[in-house]
Amino acid sequence: MKVLIDKILNDARSEIAASGSLKDLNDARVKFLGKNGEFTAVMKNLKDVPADERPLVGKLVNEAKEKIEKLIAESEKLLSEKELKEKISAETIDITLPGKKSEYGSLHPISLVINEISDIFIGLGFDVTDGPEIETDLYNFEMLNTPKDHPARDMQDTFYISEDIVLRTQTSSMQIRTMLKQKPPIRIINPGKVYRSDFDSSHSPMFHQIEGLVVDKHITLCDLLGLLGEFAKKLFSAETKTRFRPSYFPFTEPSVEVDVTCSECHGKGCPLCKHTGWMEILGAGIVNPKVLENCGIDSNEYSALAFGMGIERIAITRYGISDMRIVFENDKRFLRNYR
Amino acid sequence: MKLPISWLNDFVTVKDVSVDDLSAKLVNAGFEIEEIIRQRDMRKNIFTAKVLSIKKHPEADKLDVCGVVSKDGKHFVIVTGAKNIKEGDTVPLALDGAELPNGKKIGDTVFRGITSQGMFCGGEELAITESDYKGASVNGVLIFDKDTPVGADINDVLGFDDIILDVGVTPNRPDCNSIIGLAREAAAVLKRPFTLKELKYKTIPLKIKDYINVEVKDDVLCPRYMAAYVKDVKIAESPIYIKKRLRSVGIKSINNIVDITNYILTEIGQPMHAFDLSFLAQSKIIVRRAAENEEIISLDGKSNILNGNMLVIADAEKPVAVAGIMGGLKSGINADTKNIVFESARFKRDSIRKTSKALNLKSDSQARYEKGVDFLSQELALKRALSLIDELNAGVIAEGFVDTLAHPLKKTVVKTTAKKINDILGITVPDKIISNILNSLEIATTIDKNGNLTAEAPLFREDILNANDLSEEVIRLYGYDKIVPTLLNDAHQTRGGKSTFQKTNERLKNALIGCGFNEIISFSFITGKAFDLLKLEQGDIRRRAIKLLNPLSEDLSVMRTTLTHSVLNAAAYNINKGNAEIRLFESAVVYLPDILPLKKLPNEKTRCALVIAGEKEDFYTLKGIIENVFDIFGTAAAYVRSKEAYLHPGRSADIYAGAIKIGSFGEVHPDVLKNYGIKDKKVFIAELDSDYIINSAVVIRKFRAAPKFPSVERDLAVIIDDTTDASTVVDVIKKYSGELLEKINVFDVFKGSQIPEGKKSLALSLVFQSYDRTLNDAEIKACTDNIIGGLKKEINGELR
Repeated sequence: MKVLIDKILNDARSEIAASGSLKDLNDARVKFLGKNGEFTAVMKNLKDVPADERPLVGKLVNEAKEKIEKLIAESEKLLSEKELKEKISAETIDITLPGKKSEYGSLHPISLVINEISDIFIGLGFDVTDGPEIETDLYNFEMLNTPKDHPARDMQDTFYISEDIVLRTQTSSMQIRTMLKQKPPIRIINPGKVYRSDFDSSHSPMFHQIEGLVVDKHITLCDLLGLLGEFAKKLFSAETKTRFRPSYFPFTEPSVEVDVTCSECHGKGCPLCKHTGWMEILGAGIVNPKVLENCGIDSNEYSALAFGMGIERIAITRYGISDMRIVFENDKRFLRNYR
Repeated sequence: MKLPISWLNDFVTVKDVSVDDLSAKLVNAGFEIEEIIRQRDMRKNIFTAKVLSIKKHPEADKLDVCGVVSKDGKHFVIVTGAKNIKEGDTVPLALDGAELPNGKKIGDTVFRGITSQGMFCGGEELAITESDYKGASVNGVLIFDKDTPVGADINDVLGFDDIILDVGVTPNRPDCNSIIGLAREAAAVLKRPFTLKELKYKTIPLKIKDYINVEVKDDVLCPRYMAAYVKDVKIAESPIYIKKRLRSVGIKSINNIVDITNYILTEIGQPMHAFDLSFLAQSKIIVRRAAENEEIISLDGKSNILNGNMLVIADAEKPVAVAGIMGGLKSGINADTKNIVFESARFKRDSIRKTSKALNLKSDSQARYEKGVDFLSQELALKRALSLIDELNAGVIAEGFVDTLAHPLKKTVVKTTAKKINDILGITVPDKIISNILNSLEIATTIDKNGNLTAEAPLFREDILNANDLSEEVIRLYGYDKIVPTLLNDAHQTRGGKSTFQKTNERLKNALIGCGFNEIISFSFITGKAFDLLKLEQGDIRRRAIKLLNPLSEDLSVMRTTLTHSVLNAAAYNINKGNAEIRLFESAVVYLPDILPLKKLPNEKTRCALVIAGEKEDFYTLKGIIENVFDIFGTAAAYVRSKEAYLHPGRSADIYAGAIKIGSFGEVHPDVLKNYGIKDKKVFIAELDSDYIINSAVVIRKFRAAPKFPSVERDLAVIIDDTTDASTVVDVIKKYSGELLEKINVFDVFKGSQIPEGKKSLALSLVFQSYDRTLNDAEIKACTDNIIGGLKKEINGELR
């Protein structure tokens, strides 16, 4: 019997070793350990073994079965690892094919710039206001120290709706609306659309401005420089320098144009800044006391600074847009660039 | 304002200052230099040459070969086709490397084997006219006078030797639209004296009043009228220096008298007019408002019909000039003029502006008057004119002036303190420097030991009214580079931020961006035809749009009452450019007037318009986007079939929140697509009331725990009439479901072989949920039985 058991064990060993797949292995398991397997046959013949040898044969059979089970388990582990490997390898895909995406949209570049500038001023304690685009001549001009015969009106070609109602030519009208409504201290910016009847590669009849106004005690020209310098550093870069040039606006006195060092060349001179090293970004000044008085604010107690900037000009330099008209063409290929 | 350096030098010494340095200083003082024109750079390397020999070109019938002597006594060979020269003539010769005013560059050129070492020039090639040099208009080569030096730079011969600054003058400084105004500034920035020479001239003992009678009938529109009388005038050409100066500022020389008025307009900034006395009936000058429908033919030959708001200069019978703007056709200086009256007046600025605009009549005088003329200039201008008459020996000057000054002249005195000026600036400028700067600008200033400042503005500075004006004068000369940055040191702390409306609108925009939309921005003014393109009914409220009085064009003439036109335009633009897949939105206001014409400001309402087109887009993708947005803001919306004329009647919906219509959307009507030039393409649009969505938005959502007990899902397929809307089925189910129904979703519609004709099958999934127990089958069955019964009863629905 022992010879027989050893033979079965050896057969099983070689068959397990020869199993190339989990299926072969399972066949081997059935053949040797199954209900109708070879060991079952041995056990069935146990009655032919002398009674005193039976325990020994039983023990040998069990030991042989354990050995085979162990061998099968080991082989099973190896085979299943191998098969998983093969499966994974067969599942390889071309990872350079494009992804299945749902395209993300975009804000208009003008909105992006307005948001960025608004965030800077919010950080400096400014409220963001809204105001009407169709505005009275009174708020757009007269209360801003620009009466009807004033030659400064030539600086802005105005769209009229009636003698007394205009499309606002500047967001400065919000200075008046804010000061009539709110007591100092005031710190506001007002982004919005403005309109002037001028249309070519560098002028659009509709464009955007952001107006800023601070009304408080002891506001000075130094504060204006400090505030706008801080703003320019945040908008462009920390090394940006700011300078004033004298200018004229009817509602500020003194009035200045504000230049910053070119964002492209940082002051060395390049085509963007026409080799001057500087870019003009906004107009500003100390609010003319007449404007404060027009709004019922005591100009002996309070003073104010104001500034106004064109968004398109900043957007055009920031993104290198070649022609103002492209900004409002609404071509998707232009717009989706600003995702 | 064109500022020739040589002219400036009459009033302040600048000859020894570099032009770049002067320009930089003027920029720092508030005068932009738009251009520096160096006349010599316009005609480079062109010299006078004497023609020594002229021979026929051996190979070309039409060409001659000339031997000339020119620059540095050198000899040159020039091939020319010009026929008007002869041996001994002196002509302009552009040598190798020369550049003509039109930008043409000259080099050695070979003509049939003979090299021409340059080119003879005609007047046209040199961009000069007869008034620059006699003979300049001759067809052919310009021939200089016999005594012209040979080998000379033609800029010296023609007098193109000046440098001209083109100065930008801001509207607060009308005085600087003159040579003397800018000279005062140049003197101040250079810290040099400004000198106005004493103006002298001979007069004869004739009283002007005996020759001319001036009467001002409206001293508001004409606060000062001055006149001078010159008899026995000799009309002639102006001397070279006057011609040259006028040419350098772009004014054509006419004759000595007209040139004098233009010279003074430039130098002093005072418009003048010269009347031929023989044309003034009864020798009268009456400054009056025009009669209604009075006519005057102006100098340019145009007939002008006047009205009572317009000021004219008239004689005893008729208007002879539109005051300050243009003289009449028959009152001006001509070759036979003998006796003249010089007018030097101040007219009200806005009166000139309005009249000029109404008559569409423009002139250099009118342009200057609109900027503002001070009270100092009238007398100065007359004296200067008479000194020139004397200098040119152009006539005999009567004694004295007519002067109708209505009110005594008063200078503005500003009383303030040095501290106030420094408070505006934020730095401390020493008292001495403040007073020095102001005095250098002729603002007579004293500061006492307590810091009290008194400043008297000169008559030519009507812009100086308060301490802020003085502070600007101080800092622009002290230097803006002295300002040091501070950050609102004394100001109150404020909290800033956006309004809830602004923040919510940004969320709305961001939601759309998440759905793949690109934001567009279109013009707020649209074509008046938009409402026809959209097929809006005649009575539609959106047709009541605000019109601009002065639009750029008909296409940009009406303030939009809807964004639909704009987004459709954008869609058409993109589709026609080949952008087949688009999702665009615009968030902007529309302008809704209460009454037209506008008496008060209109309502500006925020709207959001969407447009989509492309392979995968249909009514339901657009509706899905809208539902997504409404989910975000908690907008409760109901959909009813739309009657909007621009939408497909079977594929469009109006959106209602209760009784309020908050938008419309759907497929664009094929007729409308055609109107916008969109072919073979479906386009879907929506216009939503952002104001409503934002103002009713759920800002803070209250906490709600996720259910602890499992939900139960049941699918239901129900066969109903084809004409029954899904929303009706949903409404019935909700009515019969009881409170356990948590969610209901329509997931399929099927029509086909297994469904009877005229019917459709609607598949719905129902989710039942209890928050306090696990539901059992019996409970669910009771619910669904009830629903099935309800469907049968209400809409004859059968389970499939």
